[in-house]
Amino acid sequence: MMRSGIYWKAFLLLAALDIPLFGQEASPLGWTTPGWIWYQTIPGMSWTAHDAGTNYALEWEVMPLLYSFGLTKRATPWKMLFTEPPARFTGSVEVLIGAQLYTSEFRGSHWGFSGGVLGHVPLIERGEYLALNVGAMRRWIAGAPHDFAVGGASTLFGFIEYNVHYAPKSEMWVHQVGVRFF
Amino acid sequence: MFRLLPILLLLSFLGSGCSFVLGRYTSRALGQIVEPIKPVEQKATAPVRDSVRLAATWIGHASVLIQIHDKVFIIDPVFSNTVGMLAQRAIEAGLDPSVLTRLDFTLISHLHFDHFNYGSIDRLPKEGRLIIPPGGTPYTPEFGFLETIELQTWEMQEWDGVRITAVPVQHFSGRYGFDIGWMGRVGYTGYVIEYKGVRVFLAGDTGYHEEHFKEIGRRFGGFDLAAIPIAPVNSRIFSSRVHVGPEGALQIMRDVNARMMLPIHYGTFFQGMEPEPNFAEKLLLEAISEQDVADRVVKLDVGETRVLKGEGGLGD
Repeated sequence: MMRSGIYWKAFLLLAALDIPLFGQEASPLGWTTPGWIWYQTIPGMSWTAHDAGTNYALEWEVMPLLYSFGLTKRATPWKMLFTEPPARFTGSVEVLIGAQLYTSEFRGSHWGFSGGVLGHVPLIERGEYLALNVGAMRRWIAGAPHDFAVGGASTLFGFIEYNVHYAPKSEMWVHQVGVRFF
Repeated sequence: MFRLLPILLLLSFLGSGCSFVLGRYTSRALGQIVEPIKPVEQKATAPVRDSVRLAATWIGHASVLIQIHDKVFIIDPVFSNTVGMLAQRAIEAGLDPSVLTRLDFTLISHLHFDHFNYGSIDRLPKEGRLIIPPGGTPYTPEFGFLETIELQTWEMQEWDGVRITAVPVQHFSGRYGFDIGWMGRVGYTGYVIEYKGVRVFLAGDTGYHEEHFKEIGRRFGGFDLAAIPIAPVNSRIFSSRVHVGPEGALQIMRDVNARMMLPIHYGTFFQGMEPEPNFAEKLLLEAISEQDVADRVVKLDVGETRVLKGEGGLGD
């Protein structure tokens, strides 16, 4: 109880102080803001449908690398860990790694891991209103790899995305709802 | 204690003015969805004219087309019926971008949805240059303009005799809310355009900052025209630092030493915090009357083009 209280106080304080840590006029490394770091702890959700039933999970994803092909030529197309939203939804390809915490045991484990590539194609308002997501992902479930094709869409300025993952070999479907804080 | 915190917060919220303001905002936001968009009776069909030294067309909100001699500038172009997926127009845009055969410069004052509208920029001619505010590059798609230039505060660049300078104003950064933190104090600007002896100040969107505006006035020695926002007006709660009302706008006009002021940023999109429709316009008319500056305020209807300095015309 007490530890939880301290955690929430720290969270609120750091989120309120969402300013560049190094006090620049503009932070060249946006992810250095405490607020941004805290936002990344907010998980997405997924549910996996397979032959033995359905498992629900909380998901956290990290973007080690993104190449944007939709921004002005003035802008650097490469982004690491952090990106301004338009770099993604105006057209990009990104590498994603993630971890899943299953709410019930899934083939003997609560944890899963994933890695893959996801492309974003702008559809409406340069992707700010709607973008198409297409990619490929490998998910390790209880240590066993499963290869998935991924398709979906992003909306609301890229903050909300819904992707469907399908593994043809294991006939497994994963529905993923994500909240992106870039 | 911590379990009671949400209840205490809820009770304090309900007992404060916040619930009233939020309730009013929400009800108006929902109400505007079913409101029809008012048509413009006389849209600008030929805003670029011969023998003009200075002309302005108000497209609505902060979107203004300015002609200085043979050069055409558009500022913060927005033609869409909604901005930011939610805020709806009260009145349609006063110009269809298809009537624009050419544009020399497209200027973006800052990154907010009602000023930097991707879909609207896609509908513009691309032979000219796009000028964006400091820090705007990572938010700018490749639109296909001849060149995209990010001007820093007080930086001036010149093309074919046209000098454009980014000047300081007081607003706030970001586009999506939580990016304010990582952007810092960049992403917004005013501009000064100088061409063939005509000087125009574009305030974009700003609060009142005496030092900035007097400095702009000192450095440039006065303006033929200043486009200055006058809303949202009910700013005591949310926007006193980042928006001016009509009184503040008239003060900026005097500070920068502008001969004429074009009021902008009102009467176009839903302004949820104002106590009544056309509140800013009403206050502007009162302020003009009180301060006896009717001859200096060029109040245009949406879609109206006014020649401010023609060959022997008004303002010469």
